[in-house]
Amino acid sequence: MKVNEVPQDITFYEGVKRACYALNEEGKYVVVPSTGWDAEDVVNSLAVDDLAVMLEETRNAVWAGLKSPLCYHMERRQMNPDILAKTAGIAVFRVKRHFRPEIFVKLNSSVLNRYAQALAVTVEELLTVPQSQGR
Amino acid sequence: MTTELTTGGKPFVHRHYAHCESGVTSALFRDKGVEISESLAFGIGSGIFFGHFPFIKWVGMPISTYRSRPGSLFAKVAKRLGGRFITKKYRKIGWSDRHVQTGMDDLRRVLKEGHIVGLTTNIYWLSYFPNRFRFQFNGHNIVVLRETENGFRISDPVLEHPVDCLTEDLERARFARGPLEPKGFMYYAETVPQNPDLRTACIEALKDSCNMMLRIPFPFVGIRGMRYLAKVTIKSPDTFGFQEACRRLATVVRMQEEVGTGGAGFRFMYAAFLQEAADLFGSSELAELSREMTAIGDIWREFAVVSARIVKKRGQAEETFAKAGGLMMICAGREEQLFRNLDRIARKLKA
Repeated sequence: MKVNEVPQDITFYEGVKRACYALNEEGKYVVVPSTGWDAEDVVNSLAVDDLAVMLEETRNAVWAGLKSPLCYHMERRQMNPDILAKTAGIAVFRVKRHFRPEIFVKLNSSVLNRYAQALAVTVEELLTVPQSQGR
Repeated sequence: MTTELTTGGKPFVHRHYAHCESGVTSALFRDKGVEISESLAFGIGSGIFFGHFPFIKWVGMPISTYRSRPGSLFAKVAKRLGGRFITKKYRKIGWSDRHVQTGMDDLRRVLKEGHIVGLTTNIYWLSYFPNRFRFQFNGHNIVVLRETENGFRISDPVLEHPVDCLTEDLERARFARGPLEPKGFMYYAETVPQNPDLRTACIEALKDSCNMMLRIPFPFVGIRGMRYLAKVTIKSPDTFGFQEACRRLATVVRMQEEVGTGGAGFRFMYAAFLQEAADLFGSSELAELSREMTAIGDIWREFAVVSARIVKKRGQAEETFAKAGGLMMICAGREEQLFRNLDRIARKLKA
C-alpha cells in the first residue's frame, strides 16, 4: 500500500483516525492516519446491525412478556450469560433462569443490586426496558 | 504527536500507533529513553501469526486471528531486549472485591513513583471509544500517564491524542470478567538497557516467527490454518447458508482490518519491521522479503474488498466465495514461500 492509497473514504470512526502503515515515495514505511475504509465499514455495519436487530427482538419479547428485562440489559452490554454470571457472581443456571419474567419479578433486592452493579445500570433501569427502539 | 506530562513531571510524547500491544511496548521503552519503533517492537515480539479456531466462539463466531496470543508480544520483547519489567495480576479471593481496590491503589502508587504503566483492559468499558468499536474484548492495552481529578490520563496507542478516562470505567475495564480475563494485569519498566542488542533479538524473533508460521503441527494455525480457512470459506455458502457464511466472512475481515492492525492483518506492519531489520543488518535479501510482504499484504486487502462486495451485494455481484477463498489460498502459498526464505536467511545472519 502506498501513502496515496491509504483509504480516506468516510469518517465513520466518529472523527477518530486509525493509523495505517504505507510506503512513501522513497519506498520507506511510514504511519499514515486514515479516516476509514468502505470495505471495513461494510463488515463492521453487518456486525453492529446484527446486534441491534437482536436487541430489538429481545426488547419486543420483554414487552410481550416472554423474557425478563435482565436479558435485554445483558444484550445491551453485549454480554452473554457466562460473562454476566461471572461479573455478578451468580451461577450461570440461575442467570438463565432469571431470564424468565415470572421468576425475575420475584427476585429480592440483593440479587437485583448485584445485577445492577454488574451491568452498570440503576435498579430502576434494570426493572424496565425502554418504550421505543434506541440504545 | 502530542506531548503530555507524567506524574513525575517528565514529558511523554504520545504517538499514534496502529496496534495496541506493540504500541504500548514501544511507549514503555521510549519513556525510559530507548527509541524502539512500533514495527520493531512488533517484529521482535514475533507478533505475526495466523490462526482460525472453529471451536472457540466470540460473539457467536469462530475466532480468526492475525497476530500471536495477546500478552505474548510484550513478554517476548521484554525477554529478548532485557531489562527489568514488573508485572502484576490480581486474583479475586472469595466473594470480596478487595482485589479491585488493591489493584487501583497499586496503580496510583506506581504512577507516583514516576513510571508510566501499561494496562490490559476490556475495550467495551472504555467509554472514550466510538460506540461501534466497543465490543466485549478483553485484550486491549493502554498506557496510563497520571492521575487526574476524577480519573486517569490515558495514552491509548490507537488513538491520535491522549484522552481522559473515569476511575469507574477504568476499574470495570481492568477487572472485567469473561474469556481472557485481564485480572487487572499491569506492567511497567523498572530499568531498561540503554543499548539493547537489537541484532541478536531480531535473529531470535525471525526464527521464532518462522517456526510459528510453518512448524506448529496443528491444522488451525500458521500457513496450515490459512489453507484450512480458505477451504472452509469456499464451501461456506453450502455448509452454513448464505447469511451465516456472510457473517463468518465479515468476522474474518473485521479481524484483519478493524482491530488496530495497521492494514492487511499486520502484514504491512511486519513488512515495515523487515525493512528496519534490512537496514540493521545491511541485508538486501531482507529488503526483498519486505517488498514481497507488502505485495502479500496488498492481496489481503484485495481479499477484504472482494469479501465486502459479497456482503454488500448479498450475492448479486460477480464476486463469489470461491474467489475470496482463492485469494486467501494465494496468500497462504506466497507466505509459505516467504517464511521459508526468511528462515533460511535468518539462520545465516550474524549477530
